[in-house]
Amino acid sequence: MDRMLSADEIVRGLLAKEFSAAEVFRSSLERVRRMDPALSAMLSVTEEAGMAAARAVDECVARGEDPGPLAGVPVVLKDNMCYRAAPTTCGSRMLERWTPPYDAAVVTALEGAGAVILGKTNMDEFAMGGSTEYSAFGPASNPWDPDRVPGGSSGGSAVAVAAGYVPVALGSDTGGSIRQPASYCGVYGMKPTYGLVSRRGLVAFASSLDQIGPFARTAADLARMLSVIAAPDPGDGTSSRRARPEYGAAVASASLKGRKIAVVRELAGMKASLSPDVEGTLARVLDLCRREGAEIVEVSLPRSLEFGLPCYYILAPAEASSNLARFDGVRYGFSRKERTLKALYERTRGEGFGPEVKRRILTGTYVLSSGYYDAYYLTAQKVRQLMKEEFRKAFASCDLIALPTAPTPAFRKGELVDDPIQMYLADIFTLPVNLAGLPALSLNGGFTADARPLPVGVQLIAPQWGEEGLLSAAAVLERHLGPASVAPMAAVKGGDGR
Amino acid sequence: MNAVYMPVIGLEVHVQLATASKIFCSCSTDSMGAEPNRNVCPVCLGLPGTLPVMNEHALRLGIRAGLALSCAIRDRTIFHRKNYFYPDLPKAYQISQYDLPLAEGGEIVITGDDGAPKRIRITRLHLEEDAGKLVHSAADGRLEGAERSFVDYNRGGVPLAEIVSEPDMSSPREAREYVQTLRRLVRYLGVSDGDMEKGSLRVDANISLKKVDGATGDLLFWGERSEVKNMNSLRAVERALAYEIERQRILMERGGTPERETRHWNDGAGVTTAMRSKEAANDYRYFPDPDLPPMLVTEAMEERERRALPEMPWKKAERFTEQYGLPAADVEVLVESLPLADYFEACVAAGASPLRASNWVRVEVFRVMNERKLPADAFPVAALSLGRLVAMVDEKKLSTTVAREVFDAMAGGKSLDEALKGAGAAQGGIASEALEGIIRAVVAQNPDVLDEIRSGKDGSGKKRKFLTGLVMKETRGQADGKQVQAILDSVLGELL
Repeated sequence: MDRMLSADEIVRGLLAKEFSAAEVFRSSLERVRRMDPALSAMLSVTEEAGMAAARAVDECVARGEDPGPLAGVPVVLKDNMCYRAAPTTCGSRMLERWTPPYDAAVVTALEGAGAVILGKTNMDEFAMGGSTEYSAFGPASNPWDPDRVPGGSSGGSAVAVAAGYVPVALGSDTGGSIRQPASYCGVYGMKPTYGLVSRRGLVAFASSLDQIGPFARTAADLARMLSVIAAPDPGDGTSSRRARPEYGAAVASASLKGRKIAVVRELAGMKASLSPDVEGTLARVLDLCRREGAEIVEVSLPRSLEFGLPCYYILAPAEASSNLARFDGVRYGFSRKERTLKALYERTRGEGFGPEVKRRILTGTYVLSSGYYDAYYLTAQKVRQLMKEEFRKAFASCDLIALPTAPTPAFRKGELVDDPIQMYLADIFTLPVNLAGLPALSLNGGFTADARPLPVGVQLIAPQWGEEGLLSAAAVLERHLGPASVAPMAAVKGGDGR
Repeated sequence: MNAVYMPVIGLEVHVQLATASKIFCSCSTDSMGAEPNRNVCPVCLGLPGTLPVMNEHALRLGIRAGLALSCAIRDRTIFHRKNYFYPDLPKAYQISQYDLPLAEGGEIVITGDDGAPKRIRITRLHLEEDAGKLVHSAADGRLEGAERSFVDYNRGGVPLAEIVSEPDMSSPREAREYVQTLRRLVRYLGVSDGDMEKGSLRVDANISLKKVDGATGDLLFWGERSEVKNMNSLRAVERALAYEIERQRILMERGGTPERETRHWNDGAGVTTAMRSKEAANDYRYFPDPDLPPMLVTEAMEERERRALPEMPWKKAERFTEQYGLPAADVEVLVESLPLADYFEACVAAGASPLRASNWVRVEVFRVMNERKLPADAFPVAALSLGRLVAMVDEKKLSTTVAREVFDAMAGGKSLDEALKGAGAAQGGIASEALEGIIRAVVAQNPDVLDEIRSGKDGSGKKRKFLTGLVMKETRGQADGKQVQAILDSVLGELL
């Protein structure tokens, strides 16, 4: 397997003057050039701005100044985060040529930390989907098997890390959109507590669920990224004002001794829909936890597992139908000029949005309509409260909850694209976490025994603001499982690609 | 049977809150004379990825207005999204409040049609953002048939308080009175400039007619209500409602039934026209805005606004009547504007008699304000100076004519002392030696008149009066007439 540098190693090597940020950036660009034609993870590459940033870091190092905790580290952004240097398409024709006049809060944070932005990554349109097949610009491919999907909606960011373009990336997670592709691509992906990372500059899908989070190949890199992006932001009314720790400390002092890790009782009754590889991987990881001194306990989350999915598919589309209403062809983005206002709206939205986005706008509009609001939206809000309560009770008797990230490893392209319900079911273990506003991460627990082995993720869930517990557990497990592997070039070349 | 038609009127008043910046971003709210789309930013344009952040000042003003209307203030209140498509609404939803408004259940007292005080119940006060403004190229300024349309988002995101009354008004006059009372109140509170022409106070009226048996008072029929929009002045409110009452009455008398609809007041034509019927109205799909956390109104915040409440205009009116003994008409004018009322009181405090001070304020001060289009709180003459001037008139140290001249000079930027000097008057009037000098000079300059008096042709005293007039003119009216008479007599006595 190809050995690629972690963010930690890049920062250290840079400070030791073993290489320059410009060299690191060029090598990343080179890898994108060689592999991305087969993987389609990138929607734009910001070579010019990136090179300027890399040179600035090099000058900073030359002057002997502190270049920041992500100095010279190439990163990619999911294409729903605003960045002045490139279009922010959200994977949609609607915003194909729209370049924002401002940077997202996380972009400002990354740049301030010395990171070098390499480009923007492929995604399901407006973050709605679990495979990147709903990208208006074609799907990305899984680097472990290019005939398979990388997961989604942050599929491009997961691929960029798994294929070694960059050591770290940002995605957004509304119902599993970081964790599920992390699982499919065999890397770390974390969805932080709602309110930990500013959403300012993230194009909203479902505002009460959306959260930006990092991808990485090591727990230490995940912590390093989180420390940079997890800052209070007065420009986001939902950003928490609480002080953030330095997350690296949790990795450095990692231990599972005496920690209680819970399995979920209801999982036993869901075996029919679980792949044996997923079940086996979860058992293996729990066994490692036990060997590290953790106590395995059991909790019950019946409501979350039974009602999480329907609850999510009411609330998220409801918010999306409102958030996406602004794309009307009047001010910016895709527009069909017509003789009447109604025709302008209808043609712009009819042609600018893809099928999954339309499906969710229709669903969301329906559940908010007068006469249906109480039965759907209001009921779902009540269920959401019950789910929060259920998690709160569960965490009274454990420190972390372990669940599969997804019921199966990466599926084949085209397999579910016409079966939205099956596609939605891939998020059954991740959605409740967003509804409860909790932090969770997916780590690679192993590979399938297929001829082309596929990564299989395990999800750890913590109580609110429990990111340090997640990182600590991940760091302990990494001693056994090793850092996430970079997919071998051979696997990419061997596939049919796209 | 004799049927009587009784109007039932409720008003929704949108008041622009007097904040420097918009409700969810830092853009200026002052767009008078600004180029279109100048006071805008990514947030109020609703660009993808932007988030609203609540302007705390708007919340404070909302609380203040709610308290002044005797409403209960909700300690936890939230914003909803009101979803509909229109080009003046950049996010395709308006951030507003729905079932958990900031303030509820208040009242305001107006003078009813019978002259007695009448309570108008306030249903609620809620906060929301304003939309942008559409400009159509069609001849009638409407969207239909317009060749091109333009949109100006300067107004988009400006904070509004919507104040909804119960349908407690029974005539266009009462409606007008209500709007006037409310406007005065928000101005007193510093919550809004309340300027209807500028659109910072906008009125929508809901009006229906009850058909009642004139003899028994039994309700025979209650028509659907129409909502009348686009009334841009107090007069327009009164006229539009009068028109609408007639329209509905005639319709009902002819056996028709008013529909529930929205109607547009056309001020030029003096008619209302149908805009859209409520049945086909939008389903706004209200739901709590997930971008904005609940607003918590603490005891301390409420207390702070309660303390910021000024003396209410109706209380002030009572006090002015009792304390100063002013006639009702004076009180009404003075109390209409808080700066003016304060100005008047400062004049009195400086020594002016209340009645004369009131006259001066209502006549001279108003004249200069109107001529120069000045607001009362930017009036160039300090109340202390005017008060002292009026006191001099009270004490007969100055004639009204000279006082006016002094006042005009002060309005032109002079201090009281400068103005008095410029008018040839010193505080305390003219010394008799100086007056004698002036009289001698006048007599010396008019030898022919003196000759005529000498020759005994002034039996009627006309010539003396003529000389007195000249002296008064010379002394700019500040000399005492009797004193002039006495000195003139003695001077003439010497010369004759």
